Amino acid sequence: MITATGLTRKFGELTAVDKLDLHIERGEVFGFLGPNGAGKTTTIRMLSALIAPTSGSATIAEKTLGKDNRAIRQRVGVLTETPGLYKRLSAWDNLLFFARLYRIDRPEQQAEKYLKLFELWDRRNGLTGTFSKGMRQKLALARALLHEPEILFLDEPTAGLDPEAAKMVRELIESLRSKERTIFLCTHNLDEADRLCDRIALFKSRLLTVGDPQSLRERMYGRRTVVHLANPDPGIEGHLNLPFITKTEWIDGRLLVSLSDPETENPILVRKLVELGADVQFVSELKVSLEDLYLDLMEGNHVST
Amino acid sequence: MYRLKVLLIKEWRESLRNKMVLFGVIFLPLILVGTSVFMLTTGIAEEDPIAQVVLFNTSLMYFMLLPAIIPLAIAVYSIVGEKEQTTLEPLLATPISDTELFLGKALASVIPAVLVNWISFGLFLGVTRLLVGGFLLQTLTLPWLASIFGLTPLLALFSVGVTMIVSSRASDARAAYQFSSLAILPGLVPLIVYSSMKTIVDMRLILLEAVLLAVAGAVVLYFAIKLFRREQILTRWK
Repeated sequence: MITATGLTRKFGELTAVDKLDLHIERGEVFGFLGPNGAGKTTTIRMLSALIAPTSGSATIAEKTLGKDNRAIRQRVGVLTETPGLYKRLSAWDNLLFFARLYRIDRPEQQAEKYLKLFELWDRRNGLTGTFSKGMRQKLALARALLHEPEILFLDEPTAGLDPEAAKMVRELIESLRSKERTIFLCTHNLDEADRLCDRIALFKSRLLTVGDPQSLRERMYGRRTVVHLANPDPGIEGHLNLPFITKTEWIDGRLLVSLSDPETENPILVRKLVELGADVQFVSELKVSLEDLYLDLMEGNHVST
Repeated sequence: MYRLKVLLIKEWRESLRNKMVLFGVIFLPLILVGTSVFMLTTGIAEEDPIAQVVLFNTSLMYFMLLPAIIPLAIAVYSIVGEKEQTTLEPLLATPISDTELFLGKALASVIPAVLVNWISFGLFLGVTRLLVGGFLLQTLTLPWLASIFGLTPLLALFSVGVTMIVSSRASDARAAYQFSSLAILPGLVPLIVYSSMKTIVDMRLILLEAVLLAVAGAVVLYFAIKLFRREQILTRWK
């Protein structure tokens, strides 16, 4: 659905996006994570045919960037960083204006559908200048969805929303995924990215890594088992002598064991510990948060087993 | 052209809800018409037909300036307003072409400016005839009519071109409005020529002015269109 090869964008001396290679499948929710100024917005602008790349190529919804830009814009929906609504126009007029620019068959019906979906129908005649931040964000989302785009570029879709509305947006993203829509999601909410995205890319002018959240964790940190012992004995690790253990360490009185296949290796590990006289209280897998992974990668702290 | 029409309607709908724009488009012409009629019917002009003719001709000059002034109000808010409301990016993300966008913005300013000017001119003539008499209207020569109906659209176009260039560089509406006032200058040239009475105002002079204005307008519009590229707008209109 989206393929980019060596996509680069320079602004004078500054390289905002450097040789980006991407392939995103139809129906995939793809998280694009990176710090402010990393070039995420520039990437979205290039992929939605708003600005031209300095070099490289891309196809979006089977259309070639640079050659079929208007067709690309017809097939993608963009939720920009700021809602960008005409504050002197009503919610209804805002949506109708965009619906007509996209030449939708029944603009009124589509506007009604999305105003109702986002619970803005009762406020359809209100000027958007009087709307709260959350209402504006919901209306901007409605606008991005209005023409039923094949690909959605969402820049911080839940920013400014209350928890209930944010949950509604997340559910909407899930439902769009089930309808085979491709979603390119930029967010600073790492928990959201972890829950929603099939794959995530960590980006800082260039692609640092890409993969599904779980395999990224495994690739970065390996798999680790945490063992709580009733009587922590730092000397016990020296007697474990199990070939699959790659590393052991003590953290806050708990034994941390790095291994590759905990499903088959944990029972052996526990048996061995019991044999050595340890009282095993709990055994669990250490879950590294996406935030830790993100911070380690951004700071260049590659942790690997 | 469908999208151009959609954009035009949106622009006008927004303008109608903007008090600053409404003031510029409706009240300014009304004030000028009112002031002109007041001058013709009071003081020295009340008793002196020659003074009335002079004042009538002076008033006609306002209708040469109005089409350069009125589009400023609309164009400044039409372009800088997009920047201030951060609506540019969603707008540019639609399949609207650069030409549709430029023409939409330009015509949204030019059409009402020219129409309002002509309506104000008609109103002025009507009220003058009613209050002063028909003899003043007989002094209205063909070059005057050609100026008001032929030159003013060109003046409006020039004004919009300048405004678009300035607005694309200005950071806020106030700054854009101040710098765009320069667009009135070409409108002053015919007025200086007419009022100096050093040359005969005939159709040849009007034609010459039309050619000069068309050339100036073409140059300004060329640069305005060059600046009005999607990418330039998005990355430079900050």
